[in-house]
Parts: sequence; C-alpha cells; structure tokens
Amino acid sequence: MIEVEGLSITSAAGPILRDVRLHVAAGERLGVVGESGSGKTLLAMSLMGMVPDGLHVTGSIRIDGAEMGGADEAAWRRLRARRVAMIFQEPMSALNPLRRVGDTVAEPLIRHLGLSPRAARDKALALFEETGILGPERRLSQYPHQLSGGQRQRVLIALALACDPELLIADEPTTALDANVALRITRLLVRLARERRMGLLFISHDLAAVSRTTERLMVMYGGDVVETGATAEVLRAPAHPYTVGLLAARPSLAAHGKRRLPTIPGSVPPPQELPRGCRFSGRCGQEIARCADERPQPVATAPGSWAACHLLRARAKGAGA
Amino acid sequence: MRERRLSPNLIIGAVLVALVCGVALLSVVWTPHPYAVIDVGGKFAPASAEHWLGTDQLGRDLVSQLMVAAGNSMMVALLAVGVGCVLGTAFGLLAAARGGWTEEAIMRVSDLGFAFPALLFAIMLAAAYGPSLSVVVVAIAFINIPIFARVSRAAANQVWHREYVYAARAAGMGRFAISRDHILPNIAAPVIVQATIEFAVSILTEAALSYLGLGAQPPAPSWGRMLSEAQTLMYLAPQLAIWPGLCIFTAVLGFGLLGDGLRDMTDPRLIRERRA
Amino acid sequence: MSGLLAVEAVTRRYRLPRLSLFRPAPMLTAVREVSFTLDTGQTLGIVGESGSGKSTLARLVMGFEAPDAGRVVFDGQDLAQLSPAAMRRARRGFQMVFQDPFGSLDQRRRVGWSIAEPLRAQGLGGDHGRAVAQALEQVGLRAEHAGRFPHEFSGGQRQRIAIARAVITRPRLLVADEAVSALDVSVQAQILNLLMDLQDDLGLAILFISHDLAVVSSICDHVLVMREGQVLERGPVGDVLTRPTQDYTRTLLAAAALED
Repeated sequence: MIEVEGLSITSAAGPILRDVRLHVAAGERLGVVGESGSGKTLLAMSLMGMVPDGLHVTGSIRIDGAEMGGADEAAWRRLRARRVAMIFQEPMSALNPLRRVGDTVAEPLIRHLGLSPRAARDKALALFEETGILGPERRLSQYPHQLSGGQRQRVLIALALACDPELLIADEPTTALDANVALRITRLLVRLARERRMGLLFISHDLAAVSRTTERLMVMYGGDVVETGATAEVLRAPAHPYTVGLLAARPSLAAHGKRRLPTIPGSVPPPQELPRGCRFSGRCGQEIARCADERPQPVATAPGSWAACHLLRARAKGAGA
Repeated sequence: MRERRLSPNLIIGAVLVALVCGVALLSVVWTPHPYAVIDVGGKFAPASAEHWLGTDQLGRDLVSQLMVAAGNSMMVALLAVGVGCVLGTAFGLLAAARGGWTEEAIMRVSDLGFAFPALLFAIMLAAAYGPSLSVVVVAIAFINIPIFARVSRAAANQVWHREYVYAARAAGMGRFAISRDHILPNIAAPVIVQATIEFAVSILTEAALSYLGLGAQPPAPSWGRMLSEAQTLMYLAPQLAIWPGLCIFTAVLGFGLLGDGLRDMTDPRLIRERRA
Repeated sequence: MSGLLAVEAVTRRYRLPRLSLFRPAPMLTAVREVSFTLDTGQTLGIVGESGSGKSTLARLVMGFEAPDAGRVVFDGQDLAQLSPAAMRRARRGFQMVFQDPFGSLDQRRRVGWSIAEPLRAQGLGGDHGRAVAQALEQVGLRAEHAGRFPHEFSGGQRQRIAIARAVITRPRLLVADEAVSALDVSVQAQILNLLMDLQDDLGLAILFISHDLAVVSSICDHVLVMREGQVLERGPVGDVLTRPTQDYTRTLLAAAALED
C-alpha cells in the first residue's frame, strides 16, 4: 500500500538519506528506530511530501499504486490526511490553543469530505469515542489547555484519523508523555491499526515503545537503513554491529544493580563528516579495510530480514565455501 | 547554517538613520552657512546655488538650520534614551534579581510613570525651571525609565529560569554577579530594540515640545520650533514648514523601521514563522 | 545523625493562581513529608513522572528553595539556617547537572569560562586555567576545548562540559536532574559510565533523578519511587525492580521493558 524504493535525499553538504527501501501493507505496523541524525524524521516528512526546501529528493514513493516520487505540492495535498496522516511529538504545539478541539477535528471533515457541520460533529464524536477520549461529548467543546497531555495526543490521533487514512505516521508520539500515558497511547495505536486495517509507521528512539507497538523494525543510522526484520527477532538477535551496540548500551531492567554499560565510542558525526562507505565505520569495533569507502549491500539474515554490513557478507561467503 | 535574510524594513530604516546621523555629525564641523546669521535683506530667498533650500523670514540659510537642528534632535534623543535606558534597565534587572516586594514596588512605581505623558511632565518642568533643551532631555529620560524597566524585567525573569542561571546559582554566584554575567548580555537584544523605537518617539516628543516653545530656545534651531515659526507664514512660504516636517518624518520613520527590523530579526518566533 | 545528606520530612507547597478574588489562593503540595538519607559513594535514584515532585525535591536539596516544613541537612548543616555567605561557601560541597545540555550552558560564553564559574563564585584562587583543563580531561574532553563555544559541541559533549563544571570544586554530592534523558541511547551509556567513574574517583554521593527506571537500575544503589509529592515505594534497586509492591511501579517497569 505504501512502497518506497531507492529513496535518497541530498542537501548541499551531501546525502542525508541513502537508498531507503520500505513497504507497509494494510494493517501492518513498521517501527523506525534511530538516534538523532539518523534521518528518521526526514523519512517521515518525505512520505508526507513535506521535505524542506533546498533538499533534493530522488527515488520512488508509491502510495496506493500512485507514484509520488517527484509529485508536486498539489498532488501531495490531495493525498495528505486522506491517504497518509501524521501525528507529532508535541501534542500541545500541534493544536491551535484558540479553537475548541471538536472544531479542530471537524474542520477537515467539512473541508475534505464535504460533510455538513452537523454530520462532521457526529463524526468527530465517533472519532473521540474510538480513540478512547474520556467524556467525548463534553470534550468536543473544550480548548486544548483544558486537556491533559495524553488526552491531547488522543485528539491529534482522532484528527489524523478523520479522513480514514490508509497509513498513519507517528513521529515520536510518546516521547513527551509520562510512562503510563505512553503505554496507553501505544496500545491505542496497535488497536487502531488492527481494527481499521491501517498501516502504521511508528518512529521512535525508544526501543521499549517500538517493541510493544510494531511487528517489523527498521534500524537507521546516519541516513542509511542498516538493518530490518521482525521486531522481536531483531531485538533478540541483532545482526548489524550498530544494532548490537545500541541494544547493549541500553540500560536493562534485567541486570539490575550498578554496572558499567557497554558503549559505542564517539558520537554521530555531523552529516558532512559521515563516512562514504558504511556510515557506522569509525565507531564500529569490528571494522575491516573496505568499510570506510565501500557501501555494504544488504545481506539476508533471516526470511524477510537483512542487514547491511561487510562482515555479514564475508561470513556468509565463508559459510558457503 | 541558519539563514537570516535582512528585512527590507531593516535596510530602509538603517539607510534613513545613517543619513540623519551623518548630517547631524557633519553639522558639527561644517554647514553651508553659519546657521544663525541674520540677513533681513535676503529673507524668503528661493532655492538657489547659494542657498540650496532658500532662506527663512530672517534671511537665515534653511539647509544650515536643518542640519544643526538634526544635531540637536539626535543629541536630545541620545541623552534622553541613554539615561532612560541605563536607569530603567538597572531597575528592571534589580526587580528581577530581588523579586518579592522589591520587584512589586519597582513595578508599581513604573505603572505610575506610565500614567504620566511626557508632554505634561515637560510642561510642568518648564513651568518650574524655564523652557530649555535640558528640560526636554530630563522629561523624556524620566518617561523612558519605566518603559525600559518593564521590558528588561520581563526579559530578565525569563533568563532567570534558564538552566545555566540555576547552574551559576548552584556554583554560589551572587545575584549581582549573575545579573552582570548572564542576565544583562542575554537581555541586550530586546533592550536595544526598545531603545531604537524609543529613539524615534523621543525625536517626535522633542519636536512637539519645541513646537510648543518648551524646548530649544532661539537662536538654537530645532525642527519643531522651525515648524511652529513657519506656521504663521504657511501661505507666504510653505517650504519653511515642509522641510522641517519632512526631516521629522524621515528621522522618525528611519528609527521606527530600524527598530521593527531589529525586533523581527531577534524574535525567534517570527524567524520560525518566516521560515515555515 | 547519619549520612552526608539527610532530608527530613520536607514539605513544599506552592500558591496557585487565585480563582476568586474573595477566596484564598489554592495551594499545591508539590512535596509532602519526604525523608531519606544519602551516604558518600552511594547513588540514590528518585523515580517519578512529571508532577511527581522529584524536580522540586532537587531544588530543595540544592537550596534554590526553602522547604515549608522539615529540614535539608548537608554535612550536618541545616541549609535553611545558613546565612547567605555561609550558604555560598557550603555550595562548594554540592553541585548539580541539569537535563538540557543545550540550555545549561550560556551560549554567549566560552566553555572554559562556564566551567570556571564555580571557582570564581567561591573566590578560589590558584590557576583556574589549569583546573579547567584538568576538569575537561576528567570528563573525557581535551584541554583545548575550553576556548570553544557551546554550539561547537554535540549534546553528549555539552553534558560532559556541564559535569566538568559541577565537579571542578570537588563537591561531595552531585544532584543529577534528568541528566541523561535528553541524550541518545549510545551517548546516554557513556554519560552514565562517566558518572560512575567520577563517583569512584571522587567518592561522590549522587542523587539521580529520572523518569526512566531502566536508567536508574543501572546506576543506583537505592531507589525511591515518587508520585504526587509522596514516596510510594523505596528500597535497594534490585528489590524494587524484582518485587515491586505498587501497581504504579509495575507500570513504570512495563514502560521501560522490551517486549518479547
């Protein structure tokens, strides 16, 4: 339903997204994990046709069969909200503080779907009920500041669902929320994807949130997808050295008690200083000669899973010979 | 990488201000004619190579008078805004640093100041001490104090809640040292913007006071007084009113645009809107 | 009298905006009768969500605010009883690291200037440049970084700079308020390790405030779970994580766990 092939985004300083490939089918939940500078937010923006000016986009984005690579703003505008919708990290700044939340949700219904104000209000109420907003009738006429952070995020989800999109992109939707609220929001997203047979692209730096929300997982580093596969599988047996390092560096509840954590040395370099070959070279403990200059190709690690690392290729060859 | 395009406001404002300031500075060392020399025989002379804009009712060279008046206006505005800015900002910093009843007292007194129009205050001063440019300076400076106190206190209160200020407090820094090292440099931008805008207001106030005869006294030229003297001659020699009027307009517009431009440039909210 | 830091039944209330002209302003109790002690070389984790009162507690311990009831006793001295001059001297003993590595350094000041600030504040003589260089090396940066500005550093490096500033007076207590929350996972591990290294080298006591139980579990000896200003649960980290007695703690655990 959404298929991305060879998506690259280049700025004047160099490539910031390289050859991204992904697909999300109806009802499927894909997680995108990465640290700052991984390009995960830019990826989300490109799927909404909202890449900032001055960046050069190449590659194919097929949404519902329609090729959107190189499409103009008007074409994207027809798609947004109706086919692809998005929710953001900060539930407060995404709502107009001077408008009742019911009106905010009803507006796209009136404008895009041509509903009457009355019908739009009924639909907004139904959406509030569907997204588990408490006292939905009363909430319609309230202002954003009268709602808690979690309720606001639900309003934004209701707004995103207003025109029945086929793909929902959630960019760090739980980062600004408290733990128990975040738990409930991720459960809600899973339920909505199931019931509506809607694709979900869940972007987060929080491995715990991704693990309980998604079926498949994409790990990004420095603008490259370094590994992808079934979420549980990737987290259990990561193949790419970056994924291995990331999971090891994460404080674990299992090994309680004071202990030093394994670390990935250094930090993500700025885009123009990223190595040409494997983006992770320079920080990787198992680097070989070709890593810095030669870009590794994906190597299948399990059915439907792959990782892009020279070591895996060498290992696969060694096993085959 | 952040790109900051200069707004047209800012550029036009800066050019006008540079023009007025340049002329004012030039008048200190050079004018086409001595500005106060009276030549009754050559009164109401039209524009010529000798007198670029002609002469007034007493035969004085108009260009020379306008130039010296520009210097007077700038001087009055600079002194008045300078004093108001320094004292007002000091009060604002003190209010933010001390909080509690100190802040409350400073802000309530400021409110009182706001209730007083500069014109009324200047008329009172002039009645007591006689009209002069000094009276104008004192009156405008006094009115500026609460304005700067309010602007700087609001900005300073925000900076006091930044983490680096908490870090300085944790280090054991006193309130005075924190105000000097952290607060003042970080509120400079809004204060400077306010100063530019107040500069424009001061020029206008000075002109108004001189027009009423409370400011510059003869023979010291002032745009406001030139305007008021030309009033009775409107039909005879309208250019005598038009030129000082244009000068006031140029100076006020220049500083106003410069202030707006600077504010737009330093206001992150507006930057974000422009980039979106 | 035990412990380097003793917090004894502190309560802190805030006045909320008045709802009516004729009724007294409503009060919010941000921290209610919280007590704990912290010894040299130990790390106490305070876990809670926004509004739990954990940041208020940090401000009380740092002496930025005074409690409405109860006492904060550092090294035998009740902070609220100290004169301003004595308080300033006492500050040498306890320092703080903040959440936001972008906001905790003055953008207009060179890094060396910011790191030396506690030395100037304390009126300490000696070679500040040398002390700054030493502090920078202690946190894994280089001496020449002192001449640069904050924007030239990554988030993790800035947090190292903030830590250098905090340890330059050789404090005995470090309060870390969400000090790794804004950092990427791989950088977070580096900073946690750095804090543990400094603790070993300097014998620091650390009050580690966080919303993330997983982070707390890897750096703390004891943990205190707070909700709505009160202590809900406390104990050695291992006990609280394996045998939580409160539903709330279980929720926090679920939020931090990787799903299988």
